[in-house]
Amino acid sequence: MPDITLQPMSVMADGGSHEGRLVLADADLVAVFARVTAEETAGGESQVGGWFLEAGFGPCGSLMSVTPPVFATLDEAVEWVRTTLATGLSSP
Amino acid sequence: MSNPLILKLERRDRLSADEKQVLEGAISRVRTVAADEDIVREGDRPTESSLLLDGFAARYKIFSNGRRQITAVHVPGDFVDLHSFLIKTMDHGVLALTPCRIAAVPHANLDKITDEHPHLTRLLWLNTLIDGAIHREWLTVMGRLSATAHMAHFICELFLRLQIVGRTDGDTIQIPLTQAELGDTLGLSTVHVNRVLQELRKGGLIRWQGDALTILDWERLKAVGEFTPTYLNLQHEHR
Repeated sequence: MPDITLQPMSVMADGGSHEGRLVLADADLVAVFARVTAEETAGGESQVGGWFLEAGFGPCGSLMSVTPPVFATLDEAVEWVRTTLATGLSSP
Repeated sequence: MSNPLILKLERRDRLSADEKQVLEGAISRVRTVAADEDIVREGDRPTESSLLLDGFAARYKIFSNGRRQITAVHVPGDFVDLHSFLIKTMDHGVLALTPCRIAAVPHANLDKITDEHPHLTRLLWLNTLIDGAIHREWLTVMGRLSATAHMAHFICELFLRLQIVGRTDGDTIQIPLTQAELGDTLGLSTVHVNRVLQELRKGGLIRWQGDALTILDWERLKAVGEFTPTYLNLQHEHR
């Protein structure tokens, strides 16, 4: 199982600068999450702010997985990355 | 108020008084469907087709992971499953997005129309051809435009389709879709739906308050969405 590490990184998204995290699996960049406000997820199922997958790479990329919902916590976001890496890499 | 299907067809061709009467007479009953209920289900074999008189409906498919794609949004005047007359088994469902008033047209009555009224038959054929043209346009837009352009295109189309059936108020239309439903329609996350709407608002192209959407700059909205209404077939001519 790869070692997942998070690096703080500001992300430019619509509406300006967002607090963000680079997610690395060992030495590889696999995802970029940005913190979105409740207002940005208005109309969503959760109606609260959280961590949005701005970009994903490899198994976390849009070619191989659907955009997940906004995650309430970073732990949930990392859990999604782990599951996606595990299922994505094992599939043919 | 006139039957919105007649308004829709009259925009494209002249209907005789007799033809209008035949269309009105083909309706066996009017029913209401609550929001979020199915009008027709995938796998159904309807014996009648549903004509939307009031409300918004959507054609949709659901994937095994529970994700939904809305493949068409229907407005009053749309014959949401006219095609069930001939394709028999529904390969997708049609859902009421808002409370809907539906006129049921038995397939037996459609049989009679196709037997006895060739011009009306061609106009009903045209109706499904326009549905097909809209699907083609959506496919193209979904594959090749930015999310902002896609949203602008959707708004332009919906505005014109509502205008034809007299459901606009100046530059304002009611769009009672949630951002989640818009996301399912445009293939976007809720976050992206929110962002593109913000961008269109900030650019002074639209105003969206509650369910009311006002187009502030039609020309620029059209330009952003690369919207050309040819596919809506709005010319009035003999068909």
